[in-house]
Amino acid sequence: MIRRLIALATAAALTAAAAGCSKPAAAPAAAAHPDLSGSWVRPLGEGGLPPANKIPLTPRAAAKMKAERPAAGENQDFANTTDPSLKYADPNGYPRISMHPMRFKLIQTNDYVYQLWEYNQNWRQIALNVPQDPDPALTWYGNAVGKWEGDTLVVDSIGYKDSTWLDSRGLPHTQDLHLVERIHKVGENLVFDITFEDPGAFTKPWTAQLTYRPSPDGTMTETIYTISDELRFRERFLQQKPTIPIRR
Amino acid sequence: MRSNVLSIVAATVVVLLASTSALAHHGAASIYDMSKETTIKATVTEYVWTNPHVELGISPSGGTTTELLLELGSPPNIRNRGWTSRTVKAGDVVTVTFHPGLRGAKIGVVVKLITADGKELHA
Repeated sequence: MIRRLIALATAAALTAAAAGCSKPAAAPAAAAHPDLSGSWVRPLGEGGLPPANKIPLTPRAAAKMKAERPAAGENQDFANTTDPSLKYADPNGYPRISMHPMRFKLIQTNDYVYQLWEYNQNWRQIALNVPQDPDPALTWYGNAVGKWEGDTLVVDSIGYKDSTWLDSRGLPHTQDLHLVERIHKVGENLVFDITFEDPGAFTKPWTAQLTYRPSPDGTMTETIYTISDELRFRERFLQQKPTIPIRR
Repeated sequence: MRSNVLSIVAATVVVLLASTSALAHHGAASIYDMSKETTIKATVTEYVWTNPHVELGISPSGGTTTELLLELGSPPNIRNRGWTSRTVKAGDVVTVTFHPGLRGAKIGVVVKLITADGKELHA
């Protein structure tokens, strides 16, 4: 018992001494890079890719775009659209998925940045500080690597399937699409400055800027889009007969 | 008589501005007359929280069969404007404003809705 009291008294004395002698805690190390994590949203109708006549399309790409039948905008033909995301419920691909007026989240870790889109619950990963794969598999969302240049995250991506549209107008690209994105904050907003390079589709590189605002409500609502949903909508609203059996 | 149970309270009006409804999925002008708005009081016959657009079936005559099928935005977009999957239910009497379908089609796209308890929601 006495030994226990002595031990307690000693511990208390050491604690008091330590408190008296302690130095102020070192300030946490300043973050090496800004934290881009958070929920972001593109307000409806704001920004987007340039008008088609401002994009340096190759003759072949221009002809392809002219032949497409988007569901909205100029040359719209919703009933007979050629939009692969409506006709087949294909994933949007990039950057089209980032043009919905819906949220995405950026999750930033030491070795990856993840972009999670509310639309269709699609996502992509940006591997940090690794070299680009010279011959990646072709995928809907490409092979993206990133590195920091000061406060800007620079993302290089290739390896995109050529079946996707770059936007809902039917802007085409080839498998040689190469995107360089400079992602940075401007005030409270998050800005993506994107350079598009694709010799098969564009006569020279061109740029676009997409700006996103913080979304205080970070709740991501499920909005998974299926071909059955699309055919059901068309049956109900357009009286189009489903081409395949649909979920009832 | 059913039509006496509920009355149509407003007629069609011409509007100068297009709706701001979020129809990212398709162009509205090929399906709806975006230059017109119709406001009616009707009974909800179905409310389906689904993709690509939430669906609202109504019966202006107060019945249980859908006489007009209206679309709203996609679930995330209208949730941002205060809608939930339980905003209305079959049997509710609502006042709804919509752009009507072209060529007399019994469809429309909702502009706004006033619930039975007076809450106004925009689509």
